[in-house]
This record gives sequence, C-alpha cells and structure tokens, in this order.
Amino acid sequence: MEFAQEQTGDVLVVRLAGRLDSSAAPGAEQTFAGVLGGGTPHLAIDLTQLEYISSAGLRVLLIVAKKVQQAQGKVALCGLTPNVREIFSISGFDAIFSIQPDAAAAIAAVR
Amino acid sequence: MLGFVEEIVLLLLDDSEGQVVELPVSAAHIVIAGAALMELALRNRIDTDVRTLIVVNPAPTGDDILDDALAHLHELGGDLNIPASLYGIAVRAEGYRQKALKRLVEHRVLRDQDGRFLWVSPTRQYPIIDDREQQEVRARLRQILLTDEIPDPRDVVLLCLVEASHLLGHVLSPEELKQTETRIGQLSRLDLIGQAVHRAVADIRSTVKHATSQVE
Repeated sequence: MEFAQEQTGDVLVVRLAGRLDSSAAPGAEQTFAGVLGGGTPHLAIDLTQLEYISSAGLRVLLIVAKKVQQAQGKVALCGLTPNVREIFSISGFDAIFSIQPDAAAAIAAVR
Repeated sequence: MLGFVEEIVLLLLDDSEGQVVELPVSAAHIVIAGAALMELALRNRIDTDVRTLIVVNPAPTGDDILDDALAHLHELGGDLNIPASLYGIAVRAEGYRQKALKRLVEHRVLRDQDGRFLWVSPTRQYPIIDDREQQEVRARLRQILLTDEIPDPRDVVLLCLVEASHLLGHVLSPEELKQTETRIGQLSRLDLIGQAVHRAVADIRSTVKHATSQVE
C-alpha cells in the first residue's frame, strides 16, 4: 500500500493507494500514529486510489478516528470507490466518519 | 488481561450462582467461537471482508484455544467465509469453554465446586470470587454506549459479544437500553464477525422459540 501526505493550510491530506489489508495494516497504523503525533489534527483521508479494504484496514481507520477525537481534532474521508463504499456501508463505518465526495469537500469539512 | 473467550465465558456465568445464564447452548457456542475468531483477527492471524475469511498467518499464538481454532481454520482452507468459519469453530466451543473456565479458576477469578443444574444432571458451578473483570467490562461498555466516544477495536468486540448474548441488560438500565438502541445497533455492526455472531444467535433463538411454541 502507498501512503502520501500533503499539508494544505491547517489540514493534512493523506492519500492511500492500493490495498489496506492485514499485511498493510500494521505499517499504516504506525504511519498514522506518526502523522497524529502532536497538536490538534485536522485530517482529510483521500481513498480515491484505495482498491480494497479489509476488516484489518477498517480497524486502522477506527483507531485513527479515535485518536483524532481524543485530540479534539476532525477527520473526513473522501473518494471512496464502490468496493470500499460497500464495505463501509455494510460495516456501519459510514456512521462513524464524515464521508465527502472529493478532497476539497473533505478539507472544508475538517476546517 | 483476559482474552475474549475467557471474558465471554465469565460474562455468561450468572453473578451469584456461577451457573450459565439463559442462552441456548448452541448459541453460547456460537458466541464463544465468535470470540475466538475476533481475537485471532485482532492478533492479525485472520482477516475478513464481506465475502471471505482468510488465514493470513498460521503461526501459533501461544494460546491453546486460539491455536486450535487457527489450526482448524487452516485445515478447512479454501474459500472460507465468516458464517462457515463460525459454525466450523462452534463445534469445538464446548472444549474452549471448559479450558476457559479452568483458566479462570487458575487466575482465581472463579471458584470450582460441584453443583446441580436443574434437577437432572450434576454439573459444576463456578461462583465468581473476583468480579473486577466483569465490572471493568460493564464500565467500559457504559462509557462507549452512554457517550459519543469512538470505541477502539477491542471495545467493539466486547460490545458485539455482549449484545449477541443478550447481556446488555446487565450493563444498562431498561431506560438506558431504550435511549441507546440506535447507538448499540451502529457500534455492534463495526465488526463483520460480530455481525455474523449476532445473526447466528438470533437464528438459533428464533428456532428454539418456535420449537418451544410448537410443544406448548
């Protein structure tokens, strides 16, 4: 899985690409822990290039959401492909996250 | 810290008498199997999506309950899904329950004594001598259900197991249960294995209820 990040004003945009499954989850969790290191996070996670997410990947995002909440920050997701949207819908993760159509909307949602 | 199998076996015991709470045996076995699968998932030995369950790492965990379940899943191999895996492990769950009870006695959470269940068969009773674990689970679940706190993955598993076992009435008052109905529904969907446990237990309870009504 590929992980890229870009600061846009006070919002950190993280782009995930490839597969977020059990083999990628430990690395992704560690990387997110690094970017959530300090301050109040305003995080937009762009999933446009994410082809697949398993339960292990969902758990990583749940931990991210929890850490952001604990730090009194905000997080939004955007660009969910139909595959990813299906698992979000079935697992109820769409009730946990603010889900936006694109990066601009996600950035606006967490400002 | 107890594993999920010990945790749910403990929660399925009645507080004072040490007997099993009212849940069909096959439903209890499904819940115990679900606990083992969810523990394996959190230990990164298996992974799931809406269609499949795969063993991603067959290496033993060092826990004989989990390792038996993992080895069995590995043997089953092929195209596994969550319900098939759940039922496949549930047939081994009585053995897991006995092992978990033994561990809880060794950890001095339970006391082992002879008892009599109903009027037919002698069985063992396990009075609880240290209820800290149960109290911690109740406190944790109350915290995530009565606030807007996002649960961590372990909280989600506990909630799924307690909800599927119809034990939330031991955690929340009737009024609180009513108030949190939507949130319980939302949070207990967050684990796909937990969803399958809920459906399987509901099916068993429905079958038992139907059979009982036929007899009456």
